[in-house]
Amino acid sequence: MKQLIAILEGIGSTVRMLVRAAGFVPTLPRQLPRFMDQCYQIGYTTLPIVSVLSFFIGSVLALQAGYSMESFGAKEFIGSLVGLSMARELGPMMVAILLAGRVGSAIAAELASMKVYQEVDALVTMNIPPERILVLPRLAAVLVMMPVLTIIANLVGWFGGAIVAHSVEFIALDPEKYFETLRRFTKFDDVASGLVKAEVFGFVVVTICCSIGLNTRGGPREIGAAVTKAVVVSLILILVLDYFLTKALM
Amino acid sequence: MTTKENTARVGLFFLLGVALIWVTSETLSDGKAIKSRGYPLVAGFDNLKELKQGDDVRMAGVKIGSVQETRLAGRRAEAVLRIDPVVQIAGDATATIGSAGLLGTNYIAIDLGSAGVAPLAAGAEIRTATSADLNTIMTQLGELGGKLDGALGSIGEVLKGKDGQPGMFQRLDALLAENSSKVDATLTNLQQVTDKLNRGEGTLGKLINDPRLHDELLAAAGDLKAATAEARTIMTSAQAIVDRVKTGQGSLGTLIYDDKAGQDLKAIAANLKDVSDKLAKGEGTLGKLINDDSLFREAQGTLRKADRALDGMGDSGPITAVGVVAGALF
Repeated sequence: MKQLIAILEGIGSTVRMLVRAAGFVPTLPRQLPRFMDQCYQIGYTTLPIVSVLSFFIGSVLALQAGYSMESFGAKEFIGSLVGLSMARELGPMMVAILLAGRVGSAIAAELASMKVYQEVDALVTMNIPPERILVLPRLAAVLVMMPVLTIIANLVGWFGGAIVAHSVEFIALDPEKYFETLRRFTKFDDVASGLVKAEVFGFVVVTICCSIGLNTRGGPREIGAAVTKAVVVSLILILVLDYFLTKALM
Repeated sequence: MTTKENTARVGLFFLLGVALIWVTSETLSDGKAIKSRGYPLVAGFDNLKELKQGDDVRMAGVKIGSVQETRLAGRRAEAVLRIDPVVQIAGDATATIGSAGLLGTNYIAIDLGSAGVAPLAAGAEIRTATSADLNTIMTQLGELGGKLDGALGSIGEVLKGKDGQPGMFQRLDALLAENSSKVDATLTNLQQVTDKLNRGEGTLGKLINDPRLHDELLAAAGDLKAATAEARTIMTSAQAIVDRVKTGQGSLGTLIYDDKAGQDLKAIAANLKDVSDKLAKGEGTLGKLINDDSLFREAQGTLRKADRALDGMGDSGPITAVGVVAGALF
């Protein structure tokens, strides 16, 4: 019962934070440097790890597909399998998980420590709503950066699959054939649905991390707990939402 | 690292992302960059089956373009094909929908058409032919199975009988049971006949068993053979004669093939005609001999005188015979 109330309290404070942040949207142009800084943190610095991970996800997909499909002579369809899997599912999902692990944890830690060390209280005292300068730029930045990260993840994954399909001896699939089947079966609608998913995931991750960070109470120990909680809740929500979003976007 | 630099990086990163999204969109939806290449052709079909936008167009197995659009046009379905500009398709080439695999991947197959036929212009309609697909074949097989089932059922009914009616085997059985004595008698007669035949009795038995007939037939055949050989020899001789005649050798050959002989014959005929004309007119000695009877009369008178003289000689003796002959004659 106590836990249920805590969950409801968390949902309530998150919604309140979102509503308040939405109320400050007109102030966004004046916060451009802050917004840019968040874009840099969320997008630019996440790019290397997203690229490396996507490359190997695409490669492994091609390898597994080649291994399975080679036995019944359908290995030319590796391109379509990698293309659709990356665009519809793995691209947005992996970017969201990386975002939760890399950016979400940082947001939660930063805001939790600000809250614990009463910097947030100081802002409130100075009549500066924390939702305006702490939450809104991050939400705006993640909405702008997620499609960019996702499309890069997709493309890097596709190329990773092509390289593996071509270079692995027992698959040896011509890249031209790989991309031909990829193009034949993967439509931009698939990519677009992946981008929509990524936007939702990014928005949810940043919202959860900001909310948990700003609701931290106690001392330095709670900062660590808040980070763990933020990442775990984000991951669970990503996977749960993924199912419903996939169903809705079909 | 200044904030300004970071902002520039973010800007670049964002632009890169937007560009990538645009490129992906163009590539995956057979974007305009690809559409502008090549010329369109329209192919009308009753049914496009699994054909969809982006599928291959192949000529003799080589990819020459792709399906740009599929649409309904009145009572038929149309596929707009985008053909590589370097490929020209003969006006009598035919397009069919082919199947690249069991997974439902279709493509348009165009044959080479005839050499020397004017190529199709952009936007023209290509001839099409319907190809049997797996579903049609399976449907036809199903119908065939139904018919086969019906036919086998009918045969079964005939054999086994239906609605209490006896089947073919029962009827045969009853027929045999009813007529067993007649059948026995017939078989006995047949046995007797074959026995007689074996013993060489009767005309047919002799024909079968007596070797004389065979020998005579053989002799007759030998005679016939000899006669044929002779006839062949005669024919060969006749042929040789004909050959000689044809080559103009011998009298007959000369007569038939030599122009000079013909002309000589004509000249002889003309001379003969001339002589006979003269004879008829009484000209010349022979003509007169034939036509003038004075000579006959004179000869008759002379003979009478000679007769009388001979009679006188008989009377007066041989010494005066010369004088008598001279006196009688002159």
